[in-house]
Amino acid sequence: MTASTDFAGQVVPDSAAISRRFRRQDRLFFLLTLGSATLVVALLLAILVVLAIEAWPTFSTFGLSFLWGTTWSAPRDIYGALPAVLGTLISSFIAMLIAVPLSVGIAVFLTELCPARLRRPLGTAIELLAGVPSIIYGIVGLFVLVPLMQSTILPVLMATVGQLPLIGRLFQAPAPGIGLLTASFVLSVMILPFITAITRDVFNTVPVMLRESAYGMGMTTWEVVRHIIIPYTRLGMVGSIMLGLGRALGETMAVTFVVGSVTRLQTSIISPSTTISAQIANSFGDADGLQLSSLIALGLILFVLSFCVLALAKWLIGRTDSF
Amino acid sequence: METAVRSSIMNRRYRRNRIMMALAIGSSALGLFFLAVILATLVYRGIDAINLDVFTMSIPAQGSRGGLVNAMYGTVVITGLAMLIATPIGILAGTYLVEFANGSTLAEAAKFINDVLLSAPSIVIGVFIYGAVVVPMHGNSAIAGALALALIALPVVNRTTQDMLKLVPNALREATAALGAPRWMSMTMVIYRSAWTGILTGILLAVARISGETAPLLFTAGYSKFWNTGLTGPMASLPVAINTLAADPGPDLKRLAWGGALIITVAILALNILARSLAGRRSS
Repeated sequence: MTASTDFAGQVVPDSAAISRRFRRQDRLFFLLTLGSATLVVALLLAILVVLAIEAWPTFSTFGLSFLWGTTWSAPRDIYGALPAVLGTLISSFIAMLIAVPLSVGIAVFLTELCPARLRRPLGTAIELLAGVPSIIYGIVGLFVLVPLMQSTILPVLMATVGQLPLIGRLFQAPAPGIGLLTASFVLSVMILPFITAITRDVFNTVPVMLRESAYGMGMTTWEVVRHIIIPYTRLGMVGSIMLGLGRALGETMAVTFVVGSVTRLQTSIISPSTTISAQIANSFGDADGLQLSSLIALGLILFVLSFCVLALAKWLIGRTDSF
Repeated sequence: METAVRSSIMNRRYRRNRIMMALAIGSSALGLFFLAVILATLVYRGIDAINLDVFTMSIPAQGSRGGLVNAMYGTVVITGLAMLIATPIGILAGTYLVEFANGSTLAEAAKFINDVLLSAPSIVIGVFIYGAVVVPMHGNSAIAGALALALIALPVVNRTTQDMLKLVPNALREATAALGAPRWMSMTMVIYRSAWTGILTGILLAVARISGETAPLLFTAGYSKFWNTGLTGPMASLPVAINTLAADPGPDLKRLAWGGALIITVAILALNILARSLAGRRSS
């Protein structure tokens, strides 16, 4: 290697050597980043493989009928996923019924009505709801909402909705306060900030020109929301709803505290019941053998469910091209 | 006659508008009400438990004095370890996806997979680490807990890095390249520096998210009443301690659970506000 000196007599390294060194360092940097990105992909595969291996005894014992088996009994060593899966689907569905209109209402308020200087603090306050740990929702739900459900809300529901034909049966049962409906209420508060944040963001993507033109034609605020903003942001809104649904499906601690742990099918939504995540959290600690494997199989089902919901959400949001 | 018809239509439209806007205001009030109820409950039930003991003593047996210091220590150690693992990998992975492979089909697939991890139910992550780490190691350990939380934080850091790097103007990359700087030098000395408030916000939000997680720690880090510093043994964390103590029939331990709930919520909300004010400073 030849080293030359500059006019002050200092040694100047040979430029070819420098560029060789730089190329070597760049190669290393590239490989580091590539390795990290590959690791992320490998981790997802690892999750699927480990869950599938651990869940295998369940599927080889019960076959696919595990999915619609209605019995979950440790003493008889028979396990079926249906009560937990239905519990998860129903509680998430009811939570969406409550959270979506509220979220859209808040998003309308934040984008259309709220004075500009209140917008940020109010938005932050709603987003803080998303920061509250799920265990907090669990204990506040158990010690505040459950007594309220038992003393007031459920008796009123049983006396009113419970008397209706058809859906009345869903509200007729001894009601200790904990149950699927209580879990749905807690879930709806938890997912509210997620749906609100994305809905507000997609509402803000509506071009000002479009909005102002509509107001200029004499439309009321509601008509602008109903006929301009919602049609314009339809796909993004559905995407945000799906993301909220994904949250609701996988939520564990908040639900575990208030849903009870009854692992059979219930005819009413106010009875103690279970969900996939609550069942795992409740029984995983002292399960072994086939029961442990079945709990892991439940985890695999949950993962697949939330994957499908996310994929759908991505596809819908992607089509609006705003994310 | 015609004006009367028109005004009745107008009246109907305005009435409907007023109803709908009242509903929008009502739902916002309800959202704030939920936050207020949660915070008020935590303060009301938890404030009695906040004393010097909570910060100096470990979790007691029923009927004796004690605090939560071992659980707080556990939360700090497990969260810190998780972030030490997740932050460099997340930043490097985000760098690859935006700087080296942006737009390619493989990178798009990797971004999608990262989003799948981002939305994976945390209990499933716990079950995975149980099968992959706890079973081979024959028991709960702080390391397993840290790995579970790292797996939750990693996609958050990765995603934020991607989003923030995309905001860095290309002119900066071209200018550093024109100066003859190698890629790594351009990244560390220019690009990361111009994106760092955003990345830091993401890291803080990831800390806020994982330090409140309970479900992935139940079967990984486990629970212990004692002051454990060994990383290969079970270690309590605040959320798991709250989960255990809240189920205790005794009023003392239940009060301790509420104290812990108040502490962790205040800490996490403060982190959230800090992260958001950082983000706000960037955008202004």
